Amino acid sequence: MAQGSHRAAYGFIAPAVFLMIAILIAPVVIAAALSFTDYSLGNAGFDWVGLENYDRMVSRSTYTKMLSATALYVLTVVPISIALGLGAALLINSVKRFGDIYKTIYFLPVMAALLAMALVWEFALHPTLGMINNTLASGCGTWIEAFFGWHWLPWADDAPSWFENGCASGFPLWFGDKDYSLWTVAFIGIWQAFGFNMVLYLAGLTSVPRELYQAAAMDGATTAWDRFRLVTWPMLGPTTVFVVTITTIRSFQVFDTIEAITQGGPAKSTFVMMFAIYEKAIQHNLMGMGSAITVVFLGFVLILTFVQRHLVERRVHYS
Amino acid sequence: MSDIRLNAIFKTFGTTEVLRGIDLDIRAGEFLTLVGPSGCGKSTLLRIIAGLETQTSGDVEIAGTPVNHVRASDRDLAMVFQSYALYPHLTVRQNMATPLVLRDLTFWERAPIVGHALPGRRPKVKSLHAAVDDVAQVLKIEHLMDRKPGQLSGGQRQRVALGRAMVRKPVAFLMDEPLSNLDAALRVHMRSELAELHRSLGVTFIYVTHDQAEALTMSNRMAVMMDGDILQLGAPDEVYDDPKDRRVAEFVGSPKINMLPGRADGHGRVAALGAPLHRHVGLQDQDVTVGIRPEHLQLTTTQADNEGWPFRVTHKENMGADFFLHGTVNGSNHRMVARARPEDVAEVAIGHDVFLRAQSGKAMVFGGDDRRVYFAEGA
Repeated sequence: MAQGSHRAAYGFIAPAVFLMIAILIAPVVIAAALSFTDYSLGNAGFDWVGLENYDRMVSRSTYTKMLSATALYVLTVVPISIALGLGAALLINSVKRFGDIYKTIYFLPVMAALLAMALVWEFALHPTLGMINNTLASGCGTWIEAFFGWHWLPWADDAPSWFENGCASGFPLWFGDKDYSLWTVAFIGIWQAFGFNMVLYLAGLTSVPRELYQAAAMDGATTAWDRFRLVTWPMLGPTTVFVVTITTIRSFQVFDTIEAITQGGPAKSTFVMMFAIYEKAIQHNLMGMGSAITVVFLGFVLILTFVQRHLVERRVHYS
Repeated sequence: MSDIRLNAIFKTFGTTEVLRGIDLDIRAGEFLTLVGPSGCGKSTLLRIIAGLETQTSGDVEIAGTPVNHVRASDRDLAMVFQSYALYPHLTVRQNMATPLVLRDLTFWERAPIVGHALPGRRPKVKSLHAAVDDVAQVLKIEHLMDRKPGQLSGGQRQRVALGRAMVRKPVAFLMDEPLSNLDAALRVHMRSELAELHRSLGVTFIYVTHDQAEALTMSNRMAVMMDGDILQLGAPDEVYDDPKDRRVAEFVGSPKINMLPGRADGHGRVAALGAPLHRHVGLQDQDVTVGIRPEHLQLTTTQADNEGWPFRVTHKENMGADFFLHGTVNGSNHRMVARARPEDVAEVAIGHDVFLRAQSGKAMVFGGDDRRVYFAEGA
C-alpha cells in the first residue's frame, strides 16, 4: 500500500518535473555542454575542445574587447540612468500639477521599440545629414564657438577646445569613431532606461509614509538634502535594489541598438555580449563559442541575482 | 518654559471649515488635552501649533513671539506621532539621537566620511550620546538601544518615540493620539506613566486624543472640541461635573450620560418624560433636554409621588465594583443606563420592572440651542 502511494506521488509530480527539466534546465545544460565543443549547426558531429572556447575569451582581443565594452556599457548606463530616474521621480513627485504629463513624456522612450528609436538616433547623429552635427556646425564662427572655446575663462590656455576642433576638422562621427561609439550607444541606453527607473521610483515614493517627513521636520531636518538622507533614500532602499538589478540585467542584454546601428564596430568598440552571441552563434554558426559566451553571460546574471538576494535585501528591508 | 497662545485660528481645506476661530492660552508646564470625536479638528490644531500645517488665518505665539512664519524645525517643539514615525533603518539609539544630530552638528560634521575627520565632532557626539543614554534610562529602554524599530513591540516603539522627543528638552511636547495603537491594558498603564513623566519633566504637554478617559485621567485642563470649535475648556472634574453644552456632556463620561426629552412649563418647572425634577429654570413653555449621569440615578422598587421613571431592565453589566443596568423607560423607547452598587441590584434581574429617580439637584438641563440652562436658586 505504502509502496503504491509512493509510486502515485511520483506519478503526480512527474509531468511537472519533466516539463521543468525539458524547458528550463535542459537548454542551460545543453548550452553549457556545447560550450566545451566546436559544434556548428548542421554538422553531423563535433569534437570536445575542453576549455578552449573559454581560453579564447581571455586571450583573444576580440573577446577581451567584448568583455570591456559590456562592462563599460553597464557601468555607464546603470548609475546614470538610475540617478536620472531618481532625480526625475523626485522632481515629478514634488510638483503639484503636470506631473502626469511629465510622467508620460519621460516614459515614451520605454514604450517605443528601441529598434525603431535606434534608427531615429542613427539619423539624428549622422555625421553629415544628422541634425546634431548640423546644429553644432551652425554655431561655428558665431559667439557660440567663442563661448565654447573657453578662452574667456581666466585659467584657460591657448589649446583649441573640443568645439573649436569640431569646427576646424568636423564634428565626431558619433557611431563611426571608436572613441565615441560606445558612449553614444550608452547615451541611447540611458535615454531609454531612465524613464523606466523613474516610474519604479515614483511607485516607491508613494509608499514613503508622510509622517516620517513630518517627524524629520520636527527633528530639525531643514534642508531638502537632510530629508533625502534621513527619510527618502533609506525608504527607497528596496526600490533601489530592484532598480539596480533590473537595470543591470537589461544593460547586459543590450542588443537592438548595436544590431541596428553599429554591428559591434567600429574596431569592436561596441561589441557587447549579446551581440557577440548573436554574431558567433547565429551569423558565423560557431555554436560552441556562442554557448561559451552565453554561459559567461548567465554567470554574470546569476552572480548579480545572488548579490541582490543575500547581500543587499537583508540590509534594506527593515523588519 | 513659555506659554503658547492661539488667537482666532481658522483653517479651511477647500470649502470645508475645519477650525473656526480657536482661541486658546496654554500655560507653561501644563498638561492640556484636546479631546473630541474624529474629524473635530483637534489633530489639525496640533499640527498648526507644530508648524506642520499653516492656518488660514490667526496667530500662533510661543513665549509671546508670533511663530506664524517660523518653520516646524525652528519652533523648538517635539512631537510624538500616532504611528510613532520612527526611522525604520536606524537603531533605537540612532533614532533617539537624530534630533540632536540634526541640530547640534553642522552640515559638514554630519557628512559621511569628511565629518568624522573634523576635530569638533567627537566631543559633540559624545555629549549627545550621553543625553540619549540619560533619556533611555528614564524610559527604561537601555536594553533596546541597538535594535531596529521593526524588532520592537508597540509599547516599546511608543517609548522610543517618546525618547526621541525628550532628548532635546523642547518647549513643549505635542502628542497626537500616542496611545491609540496600544492594547487596552498597556494604554491604561501608559496613561499613568505619561502623567508621571509630565510631572517630573515639568514641561508643557499638548495631548490630542479622541478618548475622553485619557483626557479625564491625565490632563490639568482639557479642551473639548467639536466641529472646529472649542466647546468647553477647563479642568477635567469641572468639565465632567459642569458641562456647559449638551455635546460636551454627551462626549465626556462613560457610560454616556442619559438624555431625556423634557419640558419647562409656564412657571419654569422642568419635567422629563413625565417625572418632575422639582427645580425651576429661567425658561417657559419650552422643550428642553434633561441629562442625568448614570451614577446620579437611584434605584427604587416603588414609585412615590410620580417621581422617577418606571424602568425595565434589559441588561445587567457586572463591572466588579459596580453594576451597570441597561434598560428602557417603560412606555417609550428611551434607553437609560444606571450605575449601582452590587448590593443594591442583587435582587434585580433582567426583565424586572423597577423605578429610577434622579438624585436631587444632579440633573442637568440643556436648552434647545444645546447650551446648559442652570436651575434657579432656592427653588
